[in-house]
Amino acid sequence: MKRILPFLIILAVLGVALGSAWYLKRSATEIHPVGATTNAKGASPTNSPATVSTTGVPGAEPAHTLGPANAPAHLEEFGDFECPPCGVLHPILVQMHKEFGDKLKITFREFPLVPAHQHAVAAASAAEAAGLQGKFWEMHDLLYENQKAWHEVFDVRPIFEGYAKQIGLDVPRYQQDVNGEAVAQRIFQDGKRGHSLNIKGTPTVFLNGREVPFESLPADKLRVLINVELAGSR
Amino acid sequence: MISASSALTSSSNRVSKRQNLLYILIVVLSLCGMADAIYLTVEHITGQSVRCTIIAGCSEVLSSSYAVVAGFPLASIGALAYFSVFCLAILALFGYRMAGLLLTPLVAVMCLVSIWLIYLQAFVIHAFCQFCLLSAAITFGLTALVVILWRIGRLTRI
Repeated sequence: MKRILPFLIILAVLGVALGSAWYLKRSATEIHPVGATTNAKGASPTNSPATVSTTGVPGAEPAHTLGPANAPAHLEEFGDFECPPCGVLHPILVQMHKEFGDKLKITFREFPLVPAHQHAVAAASAAEAAGLQGKFWEMHDLLYENQKAWHEVFDVRPIFEGYAKQIGLDVPRYQQDVNGEAVAQRIFQDGKRGHSLNIKGTPTVFLNGREVPFESLPADKLRVLINVELAGSR
Repeated sequence: MISASSALTSSSNRVSKRQNLLYILIVVLSLCGMADAIYLTVEHITGQSVRCTIIAGCSEVLSSSYAVVAGFPLASIGALAYFSVFCLAILALFGYRMAGLLLTPLVAVMCLVSIWLIYLQAFVIHAFCQFCLLSAAITFGLTALVVILWRIGRLTRI
Protein backbone atom coordinates (compact mmCIF):
# COMPACT_ATOMS: atom_id res chain seq x y z
CA MET A 1 0.00 0.00 0.00
CA LYS A 2 2.85 2.35 0.92
CA ARG A 3 4.27 1.96 -2.60
CA ILE A 4 0.99 3.01 -4.25
CA LEU A 5 0.10 5.80 -1.80
CA PRO A 6 2.26 8.58 -3.39
CA PHE A 7 0.75 7.82 -6.81
CA LEU A 8 -2.75 7.90 -5.33
CA ILE A 9 -2.01 11.29 -3.76
CA ILE A 10 -0.65 12.57 -7.11
CA LEU A 11 -3.74 11.32 -8.96
CA ALA A 12 -6.05 12.90 -6.36
CA VAL A 13 -4.27 16.27 -6.65
CA LEU A 14 -4.37 16.08 -10.45
CA GLY A 15 -8.11 15.41 -10.28
CA VAL A 16 -8.72 18.33 -7.93
CA ALA A 17 -6.57 20.62 -10.12
CA LEU A 18 -8.38 19.69 -13.34
CA GLY A 19 -11.75 19.93 -11.59
CA SER A 20 -10.98 23.40 -10.23
CA ALA A 21 -9.75 24.56 -13.66
CA TRP A 22 -12.97 23.28 -15.27
CA TYR A 23 -15.11 24.95 -12.57
CA LEU A 24 -13.24 28.27 -12.88
CA LYS A 25 -13.55 28.20 -16.67
CA ARG A 26 -17.25 27.37 -16.51
CA SER A 27 -18.02 30.16 -14.05
CA ALA A 28 -15.95 32.64 -16.07
CA THR A 29 -17.73 31.86 -19.35
CA GLU A 30 -21.28 31.72 -18.01
CA ILE A 31 -23.48 34.58 -19.11
CA HIS A 32 -24.49 36.21 -15.84
CA PRO A 33 -27.80 37.99 -15.51
CA VAL A 34 -27.50 41.45 -14.01
CA GLY A 35 -27.90 41.02 -10.28
CA ALA A 36 -28.01 37.22 -10.78
CA THR A 37 -31.77 37.05 -10.99
CA THR A 38 -33.93 34.39 -12.54
CA ASN A 39 -37.53 34.58 -13.58
CA ALA A 40 -40.36 33.53 -11.33
CA LYS A 41 -40.74 30.16 -13.03
CA GLY A 42 -37.13 29.36 -12.24
CA ALA A 43 -36.15 28.97 -15.89
CA SER A 44 -32.53 29.39 -16.85
CA PRO A 45 -31.89 33.09 -17.40
CA THR A 46 -29.75 32.38 -20.46
CA ASN A 47 -32.70 30.83 -22.25
CA SER A 48 -35.21 33.53 -21.54
CA PRO A 49 -33.86 37.02 -22.06
CA ALA A 50 -37.20 38.76 -21.71
CA THR A 51 -37.76 37.53 -18.17
CA VAL A 52 -34.44 38.65 -16.74
CA SER A 53 -35.02 41.48 -14.35
CA THR A 54 -32.45 44.24 -14.22
CA THR A 55 -31.18 45.29 -10.83
CA GLY A 56 -28.49 47.65 -9.73
CA VAL A 57 -28.82 51.37 -9.14
CA PRO A 58 -29.83 53.41 -12.20
CA GLY A 59 -26.62 55.32 -13.04
CA ALA A 60 -26.39 58.81 -14.53
CA GLU A 61 -29.59 60.04 -16.17
CA PRO A 62 -30.15 60.62 -18.99
CA ALA A 63 -27.70 57.92 -20.06
CA HIS A 64 -25.54 58.32 -23.18
CA THR A 65 -27.21 56.11 -25.76
CA LEU A 66 -27.08 55.36 -29.48
CA GLY A 67 -30.08 53.85 -31.23
CA PRO A 68 -33.78 53.94 -30.35
CA ALA A 69 -34.91 53.63 -26.72
CA ASN A 70 -37.20 50.68 -27.55
CA ALA A 71 -34.63 48.69 -29.58
CA PRO A 72 -35.02 44.93 -28.96
CA ALA A 73 -31.31 44.52 -28.16
CA HIS A 74 -29.58 46.73 -25.60
CA LEU A 75 -25.82 46.76 -25.10
CA GLU A 76 -24.63 48.58 -22.00
CA GLU A 77 -20.89 49.13 -21.84
CA PHE A 78 -18.95 50.09 -18.73
CA GLY A 79 -15.78 51.60 -20.10
CA ASP A 80 -12.63 53.46 -19.22
CA PHE A 81 -11.18 55.67 -21.97
CA GLU A 82 -7.63 54.85 -20.90
CA CYS A 83 -8.13 51.07 -20.88
CA PRO A 84 -6.56 49.50 -24.03
CA PRO A 85 -9.11 46.64 -24.34
CA CYS A 86 -11.91 49.27 -24.23
CA GLY A 87 -10.11 50.97 -27.11
CA VAL A 88 -10.13 47.64 -28.97
CA LEU A 89 -13.86 47.20 -28.28
CA HIS A 90 -14.72 50.70 -29.53
CA PRO A 91 -14.56 49.97 -33.31
CA ILE A 92 -16.45 46.69 -32.70
CA LEU A 93 -19.34 48.56 -31.09
CA VAL A 94 -19.27 51.16 -33.89
CA GLN A 95 -19.53 48.27 -36.36
CA MET A 96 -22.43 46.69 -34.42
CA HIS A 97 -24.22 50.06 -34.39
CA LYS A 98 -23.86 50.31 -38.17
CA GLU A 99 -24.89 46.70 -38.79
CA PHE A 100 -27.92 46.48 -36.51
CA GLY A 101 -29.15 50.07 -36.84
CA ASP A 102 -32.53 50.57 -35.15
CA LYS A 103 -32.55 47.09 -33.66
CA LEU A 104 -29.72 47.90 -31.26
CA LYS A 105 -29.39 50.45 -28.48
CA ILE A 106 -25.90 51.09 -27.10
CA THR A 107 -25.39 52.75 -23.73
CA PHE A 108 -22.04 53.95 -22.44
CA ARG A 109 -21.37 54.10 -18.71
CA GLU A 110 -18.29 55.71 -17.17
CA PHE A 111 -16.14 53.35 -15.13
CA PRO A 112 -12.73 55.06 -14.79
CA LEU A 113 -10.29 52.72 -13.08
CA VAL A 114 -8.48 54.65 -10.41
CA PRO A 115 -5.60 54.34 -9.50
CA ALA A 116 -4.73 51.97 -12.38
CA HIS A 117 -5.16 54.66 -15.03
CA GLN A 118 -3.89 58.13 -14.18
CA HIS A 119 -5.92 60.00 -16.83
CA ALA A 120 -9.09 57.90 -16.69
CA VAL A 121 -11.08 60.42 -14.64
CA ALA A 122 -9.82 63.35 -16.73
CA ALA A 123 -10.92 61.56 -19.90
CA ALA A 124 -14.30 60.63 -18.43
CA SER A 125 -14.73 64.26 -17.34
CA ALA A 126 -13.86 65.51 -20.84
CA ALA A 127 -16.48 63.20 -22.38
CA GLU A 128 -19.12 64.18 -19.82
CA ALA A 129 -18.34 67.90 -20.24
CA ALA A 130 -18.79 67.45 -24.00
CA GLY A 131 -22.04 65.62 -23.22
CA LEU A 132 -23.34 68.72 -21.44
CA GLN A 133 -23.08 70.44 -24.82
CA GLY A 134 -24.69 67.48 -26.63
CA LYS A 135 -21.45 66.13 -28.07
CA PHE A 136 -20.66 63.18 -25.82
CA TRP A 137 -20.27 60.62 -28.60
CA GLU A 138 -18.00 62.88 -30.66
CA MET A 139 -15.64 63.27 -27.68
CA HIS A 140 -16.04 59.57 -26.80
CA ASP A 141 -14.90 58.58 -30.30
CA LEU A 142 -11.95 60.99 -30.30
CA LEU A 143 -10.76 59.79 -26.88
CA TYR A 144 -10.80 56.15 -27.92
CA GLU A 145 -9.37 56.72 -31.40
CA ASN A 146 -6.47 58.74 -29.98
CA GLN A 147 -5.97 56.74 -26.79
CA LYS A 148 -2.34 55.93 -27.58
CA ALA A 149 -1.57 59.59 -28.25
CA TRP A 150 -2.61 60.82 -24.80
CA HIS A 151 -2.42 58.01 -22.29
CA GLU A 152 1.30 58.41 -21.58
CA VAL A 153 1.30 62.21 -21.67
CA PHE A 154 1.88 63.98 -18.36
CA ASP A 155 -0.71 66.75 -18.77
CA VAL A 156 -3.71 65.73 -20.87
CA ARG A 157 -5.77 68.90 -20.38
CA PRO A 158 -4.46 70.79 -23.43
CA ILE A 159 -4.99 67.69 -25.59
CA PHE A 160 -8.58 67.28 -24.44
CA GLU A 161 -9.21 71.00 -24.93
CA GLY A 162 -7.89 70.54 -28.47
CA TYR A 163 -10.46 67.79 -28.99
CA ALA A 164 -13.16 70.09 -27.56
CA LYS A 165 -12.21 72.73 -30.13
CA GLN A 166 -12.07 70.11 -32.89
CA ILE A 167 -15.65 68.94 -32.29
CA GLY A 168 -16.92 72.52 -32.08
CA LEU A 169 -17.56 72.86 -28.35
CA ASP A 170 -17.82 76.19 -26.59
CA VAL A 171 -14.32 75.83 -25.09
CA PRO A 172 -14.63 78.31 -22.17
CA ARG A 173 -17.84 76.53 -21.11
CA TYR A 174 -16.13 73.15 -21.54
CA GLN A 175 -13.23 74.33 -19.34
CA GLN A 176 -15.71 75.35 -16.67
CA ASP A 177 -17.82 72.17 -16.93
CA VAL A 178 -14.95 69.70 -16.96
CA ASN A 179 -14.20 70.38 -13.29
CA GLY A 180 -17.81 71.04 -12.36
CA GLU A 181 -20.22 69.26 -10.06
CA ALA A 182 -22.56 68.05 -12.84
CA VAL A 183 -19.76 66.13 -14.56
CA ALA A 184 -18.44 64.69 -11.29
CA GLN A 185 -21.95 63.58 -10.31
CA ARG A 186 -22.52 61.77 -13.62
CA ILE A 187 -19.25 59.85 -13.29
CA PHE A 188 -20.09 59.06 -9.68
CA GLN A 189 -23.59 57.81 -10.57
CA ASP A 190 -22.31 55.57 -13.38
CA GLY A 191 -19.58 54.23 -11.08
CA LYS A 192 -22.21 53.56 -8.41
CA ARG A 193 -24.24 51.56 -10.93
CA GLY A 194 -21.13 49.63 -11.96
CA HIS A 195 -20.30 48.76 -8.36
CA SER A 196 -23.90 47.73 -7.68
CA LEU A 197 -23.55 45.30 -10.60
CA ASN A 198 -20.32 43.99 -9.08
CA ILE A 199 -18.16 45.07 -11.99
CA LYS A 200 -14.48 44.27 -11.51
CA GLY A 201 -12.93 45.58 -14.71
CA THR A 202 -13.41 47.18 -18.08
CA PRO A 203 -14.77 46.73 -20.62
CA THR A 204 -17.78 45.02 -19.07
CA VAL A 205 -20.72 44.68 -21.41
CA PHE A 206 -24.30 43.70 -20.67
CA LEU A 207 -26.62 42.53 -23.42
CA ASN A 208 -30.27 42.86 -22.45
CA GLY A 209 -29.28 42.76 -18.81
CA ARG A 210 -26.90 39.80 -18.96
CA GLU A 211 -23.15 40.11 -18.75
CA VAL A 212 -21.39 39.15 -21.95
CA PRO A 213 -18.26 37.05 -21.23
CA PHE A 214 -15.12 38.90 -22.23
CA GLU A 215 -14.21 36.16 -24.71
CA SER A 216 -17.50 36.82 -26.56
CA LEU A 217 -16.66 40.45 -27.27
CA PRO A 218 -14.94 40.00 -30.66
CA ALA A 219 -17.26 41.18 -33.48
CA ASP A 220 -18.15 37.71 -34.84
CA LYS A 221 -19.16 36.36 -31.43
CA LEU A 222 -20.96 39.51 -30.32
CA ARG A 223 -22.92 39.54 -33.59
CA VAL A 224 -24.14 36.01 -32.89
CA LEU A 225 -25.24 36.96 -29.37
CA ILE A 226 -27.12 40.04 -30.63
CA ASN A 227 -28.83 37.95 -33.31
CA VAL A 228 -29.90 35.43 -30.66
CA GLU A 229 -31.43 38.29 -28.65
CA LEU A 230 -33.19 39.65 -31.73
CA ALA A 231 -34.53 36.19 -32.60
CA GLY A 232 -35.78 35.81 -29.03
CA SER A 233 -37.60 39.13 -29.13
CA ARG A 234 -39.64 38.22 -32.25
CA MET B 1 31.30 1.38 19.68
CA ILE B 2 27.60 0.71 20.24
CA SER B 3 27.01 4.21 21.59
CA ALA B 4 28.84 5.74 18.59
CA SER B 5 26.62 3.73 16.24
CA SER B 6 23.43 4.73 18.07
CA ALA B 7 24.53 8.40 18.03
CA LEU B 8 25.06 8.12 14.27
CA THR B 9 21.59 6.53 13.84
CA SER B 10 19.92 9.22 15.93
CA SER B 11 21.73 11.96 13.96
CA SER B 12 20.69 10.31 10.69
CA ASN B 13 17.06 10.15 11.91
CA ARG B 14 17.19 13.85 12.75
CA VAL B 15 18.47 14.65 9.25
CA SER B 16 15.83 12.43 7.67
CA LYS B 17 13.08 14.15 9.71
CA ARG B 18 14.41 17.55 8.65
CA GLN B 19 14.49 16.43 5.00
CA ASN B 20 10.90 15.18 5.26
CA LEU B 21 9.80 18.48 6.75
CA LEU B 22 11.47 20.31 3.84
CA TYR B 23 9.75 18.02 1.31
CA ILE B 24 6.39 18.72 3.00
CA LEU B 25 7.07 22.47 2.71
CA ILE B 26 7.93 21.96 -0.98
CA VAL B 27 4.64 20.07 -1.46
CA VAL B 28 2.69 22.93 0.18
CA LEU B 29 4.48 25.63 -1.84
CA SER B 30 4.07 23.74 -5.11
CA LEU B 31 0.33 23.40 -4.44
CA CYS B 32 0.12 27.19 -3.87
CA GLY B 33 2.04 27.74 -7.12
CA MET B 34 -0.27 25.35 -8.96
CA ALA B 35 -3.37 27.18 -7.70
CA ASP B 36 -1.92 30.53 -8.82
CA ALA B 37 -0.89 29.18 -12.24
CA ILE B 38 -4.22 27.41 -12.83
CA TYR B 39 -6.09 30.62 -12.00
CA LEU B 40 -3.90 32.57 -14.45
CA THR B 41 -4.33 29.90 -17.14
CA VAL B 42 -8.12 30.01 -16.85
CA GLU B 43 -8.04 33.82 -16.88
CA HIS B 44 -5.93 33.66 -20.03
CA ILE B 45 -8.12 31.10 -21.79
CA THR B 46 -11.35 32.95 -21.01
CA GLY B 47 -9.83 36.30 -21.92
CA GLN B 48 -10.42 37.79 -18.46
CA SER B 49 -6.74 38.60 -18.02
CA VAL B 50 -6.89 41.04 -20.90
CA ARG B 51 -9.53 43.12 -19.15
CA CYS B 52 -8.43 46.25 -17.25
CA THR B 53 -8.89 46.11 -13.49
CA ILE B 54 -8.49 48.54 -10.64
CA ILE B 55 -4.98 47.14 -10.02
CA ALA B 56 -2.68 48.29 -12.79
CA GLY B 57 -0.27 45.91 -14.44
CA CYS B 58 -1.91 42.50 -14.79
CA SER B 59 -3.72 43.25 -18.04
CA GLU B 60 -0.54 44.76 -19.55
CA VAL B 61 1.60 41.78 -18.53
CA LEU B 62 -0.88 39.02 -19.34
CA SER B 63 -1.88 40.47 -22.69
CA SER B 64 1.75 40.89 -23.79
CA SER B 65 3.37 38.60 -26.35
CA TYR B 66 5.49 37.08 -23.55
CA ALA B 67 2.40 35.52 -21.94
CA VAL B 68 2.23 32.88 -24.69
CA VAL B 69 4.92 30.32 -25.54
CA ALA B 70 4.49 28.18 -28.68
CA GLY B 71 0.76 28.78 -28.60
CA PHE B 72 0.39 27.77 -24.95
CA PRO B 73 -0.33 30.25 -22.15
CA LEU B 74 2.88 30.64 -20.12
CA ALA B 75 0.77 30.13 -16.99
CA SER B 76 -0.20 26.62 -18.15
CA ILE B 77 3.47 25.72 -18.49
CA GLY B 78 3.95 27.11 -14.98
CA ALA B 79 1.10 24.93 -13.69
CA LEU B 80 2.76 21.89 -15.27
CA ALA B 81 6.10 22.81 -13.69
CA TYR B 82 4.54 23.20 -10.21
CA PHE B 83 2.72 19.90 -10.67
CA SER B 84 6.03 18.22 -11.56
CA VAL B 85 7.64 19.70 -8.42
CA PHE B 86 4.68 18.43 -6.39
CA CYS B 87 5.01 14.90 -7.84
CA LEU B 88 8.77 14.75 -7.26
CA ALA B 89 8.47 16.03 -3.69
CA ILE B 90 5.72 13.51 -2.85
CA LEU B 91 7.76 10.68 -4.33
CA ALA B 92 10.90 11.83 -2.49
CA LEU B 93 8.87 11.96 0.72
CA PHE B 94 7.98 8.30 0.20
CA GLY B 95 11.61 7.32 -0.27
CA TYR B 96 12.09 7.57 -4.04
CA ARG B 97 15.65 8.93 -4.00
CA MET B 98 15.81 9.69 -7.71
CA ALA B 99 12.81 12.03 -7.42
CA GLY B 100 14.64 14.12 -4.83
CA LEU B 101 17.64 14.40 -7.14
CA LEU B 102 15.49 15.56 -10.09
CA LEU B 103 13.96 18.34 -7.99
CA THR B 104 17.18 20.41 -8.03
CA PRO B 105 17.53 20.95 -11.83
CA LEU B 106 13.77 21.49 -12.24
CA VAL B 107 13.56 24.15 -9.52
CA ALA B 108 16.78 25.76 -10.82
CA VAL B 109 15.22 26.17 -14.28
CA MET B 110 12.01 27.55 -12.73
CA CYS B 111 14.06 30.03 -10.69
CA LEU B 112 15.92 31.24 -13.80
CA VAL B 113 12.66 31.61 -15.74
CA SER B 114 11.16 33.59 -12.82
CA ILE B 115 14.14 35.96 -12.80
CA TRP B 116 13.77 36.45 -16.57
CA LEU B 117 10.02 37.13 -16.18
CA ILE B 118 10.63 39.71 -13.46
CA TYR B 119 13.19 41.36 -15.75
CA LEU B 120 10.60 41.46 -18.57
CA GLN B 121 7.99 43.01 -16.29
CA ALA B 122 10.41 45.63 -14.94
CA PHE B 123 12.32 46.63 -18.06
CA VAL B 124 10.37 45.55 -21.13
CA ILE B 125 6.64 45.62 -20.31
CA HIS B 126 7.03 48.29 -17.59
CA ALA B 127 4.21 46.80 -15.53
CA PHE B 128 3.95 44.27 -12.74
CA CYS B 129 1.28 41.62 -12.31
CA GLN B 130 0.71 40.61 -8.69
CA PHE B 131 -0.17 37.00 -9.59
CA CYS B 132 3.08 36.66 -11.58
CA LEU B 133 5.02 38.15 -8.67
CA LEU B 134 3.35 35.70 -6.30
CA SER B 135 4.43 32.85 -8.56
CA ALA B 136 8.00 34.19 -8.61
CA ALA B 137 7.98 34.45 -4.80
CA ILE B 138 6.81 30.81 -4.54
CA THR B 139 9.56 29.69 -6.93
CA PHE B 140 12.18 31.58 -4.91
CA GLY B 141 10.81 29.88 -1.78
CA LEU B 142 11.13 26.50 -3.51
CA THR B 143 14.69 27.36 -4.54
CA ALA B 144 15.61 28.20 -0.95
CA LEU B 145 14.15 24.89 0.28
CA VAL B 146 15.96 22.90 -2.41
CA VAL B 147 19.25 24.63 -1.51
CA ILE B 148 18.74 23.70 2.17
CA LEU B 149 17.93 20.10 1.15
CA TRP B 150 21.05 19.98 -0.97
CA ARG B 151 23.18 21.27 1.93
CA ILE B 152 21.70 18.72 4.35
CA GLY B 153 22.32 15.95 1.82
CA ARG B 154 25.92 17.04 1.38
CA LEU B 155 26.52 17.20 5.14
CA THR B 156 25.16 13.68 5.63
CA ARG B 157 27.46 12.41 2.87
CA ILE B 158 30.46 13.99 4.67
